[in-house]
Amino acid sequence: MKPGTRLKSAACDTEVMVIRAGTGTIECGGAPMAEAKPAQAAPLDTDFAGGTLMGKRYVDAANSFELLCVKPGKGSLAVDGVKLATKDAKPLPASD
Amino acid sequence: MRALAGLTGSAAIAALTGRALMGERATLHGFTIPGRRSAGGGCQLLRARDGWVALALPRADDRAMLPALFGDAALPGGDDRAIAAAVARCEAPALVERGRLLGLAVARYGEAPRAPACEALAPGPGRSPAPARAPLVLDLAPLWAGPLAAHLLWLAGATVVKVENPRRPDPQREASPEFFALLNQGKANVALDIAQDAGRRALLGLIARADIVIEAGRPRGLAQFGIDADRLVAAQPGLVWVTITGHGASGEPAGWIALGDDAAIAGGLGDAMRGAGGGIGFAGDAPADPLTGILAAESAWRHWRSGCGARLGIAMSAVIAQALAEERARDGAALDRALRRWSAARGAPFPQAPARPVSAPLRALGADTAMARPC
Repeated sequence: MKPGTRLKSAACDTEVMVIRAGTGTIECGGAPMAEAKPAQAAPLDTDFAGGTLMGKRYVDAANSFELLCVKPGKGSLAVDGVKLATKDAKPLPASD
Repeated sequence: MRALAGLTGSAAIAALTGRALMGERATLHGFTIPGRRSAGGGCQLLRARDGWVALALPRADDRAMLPALFGDAALPGGDDRAIAAAVARCEAPALVERGRLLGLAVARYGEAPRAPACEALAPGPGRSPAPARAPLVLDLAPLWAGPLAAHLLWLAGATVVKVENPRRPDPQREASPEFFALLNQGKANVALDIAQDAGRRALLGLIARADIVIEAGRPRGLAQFGIDADRLVAAQPGLVWVTITGHGASGEPAGWIALGDDAAIAGGLGDAMRGAGGGIGFAGDAPADPLTGILAAESAWRHWRSGCGARLGIAMSAVIAQALAEERARDGAALDRALRRWSAARGAPFPQAPARPVSAPLRALGADTAMARPC
């Protein structure tokens, strides 16, 4: 998955931008994400319904995936069924 | 500055000029007049396919976003020549849009501000009679513009409490201890982590006692911790809440960040310099920061004196655009001459700003945390 790709959730309003991606399927709300919305929405899996927050970055434990939420929604982000965690806020710039 | 001096009646303010405040950091650091790299070094002007962009990469983490910015996993984020080559392949508007989505401070020539320089975001209930004592100011903002605004209010007689996150203190402390001391002298210092419930309640307690709050985070930042500025302003008669943003506090621009040099490009300073017959280059040292600080101080004091509570939004790029329009209206030929002089003087030492002493104590991080009582 190329960095900079925008992916949409099939199950909710979430959209992400890929910052970094390893091998695996990126999912939201329990369904694979894709560049286009499916014609019919996937059901939101209640185990993956924690919601996404605008501007937050999400990473996997191995740090091979990083996704930036550019539109929030009700689903949780995951790779191959394993939920991603939010990354700490960026440090502030030292100066201009 | 004249307006602020008149409003506050402060001799300390009357003795200052905007020009001196704008050159203060450059003088302290011995900066030279910038060309295509900003005086502070964090921002560059680069040629895209259809125009020029300002790209600020002051943090290592910013460079980690570059593969996503350019859609190229192999892009070496530490290589400025590779970055320039990648920018040259992009259309400027698309690059800026994507960069802003990625949380980068990026701007382009030919932009128009997306918000007014100063706008009332939400009205608050008034308080009467107008307060007779000096105001209590909470300074929640790091870096330059917000701390300068609070510093000017301190010079005018306000009591100022600087609030910092102990996990992410104001980076200016480390980046420039002398400049940090100049802007933050005389302020009480409270360290609070609003991600923790106790810290959040302590901040709400401080806000309940404050007359003026100055903050410069993206609006969603405070909202995510349950601090709702509009609601606080509506509930507290006379409270003046100043939100400093890069490009505006509502809609899409509310999510965009800016620093002082890229905000100046977004506000049209680069276009003005080029239009005056100068080259592509930065003018001044992050000028959007000090200009925004001055306007924020003036707006905050004026509202506080009137007793009318409000949440004010001050947008850095629009502050530059407004200042340019005012200078153009006053004497366009003189503005063009000044911009040509800046452009021709690149590499020369900055015009020296008069040195100002640090005359009051600089409180250590968290030295006054005991004054914050949970609400």
